[in-house]
Amino acid sequence: MGGLQKKKYESGSATNYITRNKARKKLSLSLADFRRLCILKGIYPHEPKHKKKVNKGSTAARTYYLLKDIRFLLHEPIVGKFREYKIFVRKLRKAYGKAEWSAVERLKENKPGYKLDHIIKERYPTFIDALRDVDDALSMCFLFSTFARTGKCHVQTIQLCRRLSVEWMNYIISSRSLRKVFLSIKGIYYQAEVLGQTVTWIVPYQFAHNHPTDVDYRVMATFTELYTTLLGFVNFRLYQTLNLVYPPKLDGQGEMSLKAEFEEDYALESESYTEKLSALSASLARMVASVEEEEAELDHFPTEGEDQEKMEVREKMEQQQSKQKKLFEGLKFFLNREVPRESLAFVIRCFGGEVSWDKSLCIGSTYEATDETITHHIVDRPSMDKQYINRYYIQPQWVYDSVNAKIQLPVEEYFLGVTLPPHLSPFVEETEGDYVPPEKLKLMALQRGEKPQAEEDEEEEGDEEEEDEEDEEEDEQSENEEEAEDEANLAEMEEKRSQGKSLSVKVTPGKAKAENRVRAAEEEKAEEKRLAIMMMKKKEKYLYDKIMFGKKRKVREANKLAAKRKAHDDASKADKKKKKKC
Amino acid sequence: MAAARKHKRMAASQPGFLPLKSDLDGSISNVKRRKRVNKNKKKNWNKYSDIRDVEDFLDDVRLQEKATGGLISEKPDESLFFVDTGEKAKDKQPQTTTKKGKRSKPLRIDLILQPDSHIPAPKNVLAYQQPNAKKQRRKAEKAAKLAAIGVLPRREKLLQLRRAAAASGVSVKEKPVANNNPERPFYDLWSEGTPEAADPFYLEQTKKKLIKRPDRLNEKPSVLPAIEVIAPGGSYNPDFFSHQELLREAHEVEVKKLKVEEKLARQLAVNQDIATEESTFKEQVEGLIEEDEYQPEDPDGDADDTVIGPTATQEKKTERQRKKEKAEKIKELQRKAEREVIDKKQQLFQLRSIRANLKNQEQRTKMRQAQRKAKQEAEKSMPRRLGRLKFQEPDLDIQLSDELASSLRSLKPEGSILKDRFKSLQKRNLIEPRERAKFKRRYKLKYSEKRAFREIQ
Repeated sequence: MGGLQKKKYESGSATNYITRNKARKKLSLSLADFRRLCILKGIYPHEPKHKKKVNKGSTAARTYYLLKDIRFLLHEPIVGKFREYKIFVRKLRKAYGKAEWSAVERLKENKPGYKLDHIIKERYPTFIDALRDVDDALSMCFLFSTFARTGKCHVQTIQLCRRLSVEWMNYIISSRSLRKVFLSIKGIYYQAEVLGQTVTWIVPYQFAHNHPTDVDYRVMATFTELYTTLLGFVNFRLYQTLNLVYPPKLDGQGEMSLKAEFEEDYALESESYTEKLSALSASLARMVASVEEEEAELDHFPTEGEDQEKMEVREKMEQQQSKQKKLFEGLKFFLNREVPRESLAFVIRCFGGEVSWDKSLCIGSTYEATDETITHHIVDRPSMDKQYINRYYIQPQWVYDSVNAKIQLPVEEYFLGVTLPPHLSPFVEETEGDYVPPEKLKLMALQRGEKPQAEEDEEEEGDEEEEDEEDEEEDEQSENEEEAEDEANLAEMEEKRSQGKSLSVKVTPGKAKAENRVRAAEEEKAEEKRLAIMMMKKKEKYLYDKIMFGKKRKVREANKLAAKRKAHDDASKADKKKKKKC
Repeated sequence: MAAARKHKRMAASQPGFLPLKSDLDGSISNVKRRKRVNKNKKKNWNKYSDIRDVEDFLDDVRLQEKATGGLISEKPDESLFFVDTGEKAKDKQPQTTTKKGKRSKPLRIDLILQPDSHIPAPKNVLAYQQPNAKKQRRKAEKAAKLAAIGVLPRREKLLQLRRAAAASGVSVKEKPVANNNPERPFYDLWSEGTPEAADPFYLEQTKKKLIKRPDRLNEKPSVLPAIEVIAPGGSYNPDFFSHQELLREAHEVEVKKLKVEEKLARQLAVNQDIATEESTFKEQVEGLIEEDEYQPEDPDGDADDTVIGPTATQEKKTERQRKKEKAEKIKELQRKAEREVIDKKQQLFQLRSIRANLKNQEQRTKMRQAQRKAKQEAEKSMPRRLGRLKFQEPDLDIQLSDELASSLRSLKPEGSILKDRFKSLQKRNLIEPRERAKFKRRYKLKYSEKRAFREIQ
């Protein structure tokens, strides 16, 4: 029974954690500074597993940090800078109070500042690490760049954010790495593939701000401070990879064409260059005279079996991508003044199209509306007075939908004043058996290269045909499934039943079936599978049945939805017809 | 003693010494009053030696020096005497001058305070002395020697360097550029720069080397993606079904909220007993109807039986009873032990059931482990409790069917991206949820009417 009695809370989790206030005192910083430091250094609060142990018996909720993290913070040189800044503020205030203006000036001249470069390097040891985390930075920069300069945050911050976001957009244009766009009710989501990393960001619509009150602007500004630094370095490196000049410069050709006669009408002389850059209508200057883009072809290695399949898939993807990159090449767009200019210009230029707008709308327009070579005129109003015969007048959604579909969609559905098809989210990826809206099915068929029939016909005629078409598509889909799994037959039956069609039971004169080799092989395969199922152990069989049941249920649900949709469509069509008749 | 007297006489006979005041007759009286004094003490010297004559003489000398600037005996005659030639002319002139320069004449009080001594004040030696003069002189000599060779002190060297830099147009110390300066330059941060040439130990000791960031900090506190794309129903021109789906989701959230509110209201409601017809009737009839079943028991017997539990009046156990109890206890223990032995033997035959039991147990632990793991996985994407407040899911951004815009031009954006981002940061455990600090007035407001206001009324 020897030894000292163990005291409580002197080891274990009680000593591993430190409360926020204690940490703040340990660093001798004010709460605001402490918070800033934590954000910049990427030290986040931690929830202990046993609160009672950590809080010495009390269960009150508090903010804890790991003690080791705070110890790590103690070594940060920025802490000293914060203290310096505090003293600077005190001195300045004193000088102001005494009305010593010369002292104020001297102090202001020697205002202490700090750099975040080393922190960025420390938090993101490699460039790819930084690129992975650039989502947040982009969203924040795009958001801040749209703020009004009314004192919610520093004007300089807004300017820097604008500069960085324009740089980023210019990079995406030059590298043609945009993949998806989604117009949501919140803002516009973009997705790009940069050096193999998928980067998603959201851009607010223009003039969409009401400043919410329950957001801590100081915290957001701190995050922005970090993210602008990060994005700047990332941009520099990205420009380097494309051999572009950084800070971005318009190439000679572009600069010439953008020489407006009265530049001072658009912007101050000091700002006109950045404005031209942000117009996104001209390409950037390169360090080395650009060699026509060499497509890096995939190396071919002799491979076998699965690898080969994978290779083929990859090759196909590659081809698709290169095709997508040239989606709008050769097309000439003109933006009417009521469409979101920046977003459209960005998207069109990302896929190789040429774009211009009215001279009075923005700086950087390259040709006028009267240009005969314009192929697409993007309009978002019910009708136009003066129409040229050799161009399509389409609504802006066509551009976005085409990008998402990776093909130039038929323009008929997007004509002036036509009710648009729904704008589907490209971020949804359906798995097998999920409900797929008919619009998407149509789109998939288009992607496969099948010509839609009866689209251009009159509606009255189109009705039935469309129905047929839909059926066909559904059949098609079920066929796909059949290929994929053996249970699809069942699904098909169910589908038919759900649509109220009885199975066709009829006696027909027999025909000599041509021996189909492929068919036979498939049948054999199916037979094999059936036998394998029969040979399963009881346990495995149980699992298998369960999986199959789940799949079937999914299919059933999808079918239900499809049927509902059809009913809805029919009802709406009937309504329309009635209206027409009236 | 005799020797002392002899000394005195000798002193008197010397020419430089003033004669003693006392004469022959005085010496007689002196002899009379002679005191025996030890002259080996300074105190006695001061006390018993008469030096007044010396002091008088010195006072006289000082007075002469003060008044005339030297001993009168040493002055030439011209400075002591003048020939009196009458004072008529002299008297007239100063009168006129005094009238003219009446103002320039200093005040009498100032004149009194003027030093009238002819001896100049002694020099303040300290004012002329330089501390460390010797050392500095030596230093200066050394510097001059070095300068002659061409070696400059460090300060000089730095100054020259700075001057040279300024002349060439490159400022040595760059002012730090503010982090939000829109023209700030960037460079290749991740390039393989030149490796540190300096000794790592030196860098570490001088705190020039940054501490390595622990790997643990590079893990993200949540597995959620930075940008959560809105559901397909949130499209500006949504597909009918996905839109309905989103609406349903939002509806469910609302219903849940409502349920919580209702529950709270129900719990807080005062439990009111509302009088019904039946209850009022019962009240009125209370006590009037005799109930058959009710039979009052004997009050005395009742009181006896109600005592429960041990009382002090309980009788003591007898020795026999105790023994009996003890024997029973031992017997019981024995029986238990026997039973155990039998059970153990029996277990051999229960092997199958035991095995089944074990299997069951194992299965259960496995299931629980899986559950726990699943829960942990799910928790990774959940917002943690990081502070006083819980994370509150923001409202789903939706547009009702009649709010949906017909075209992109007429689209009215829903919600705020800023708030969305803020909530996302909270959801990913990067910052703790907080609420806006409430404005707290330090002192109570006091209302008073201004006079101007009162006058108008």
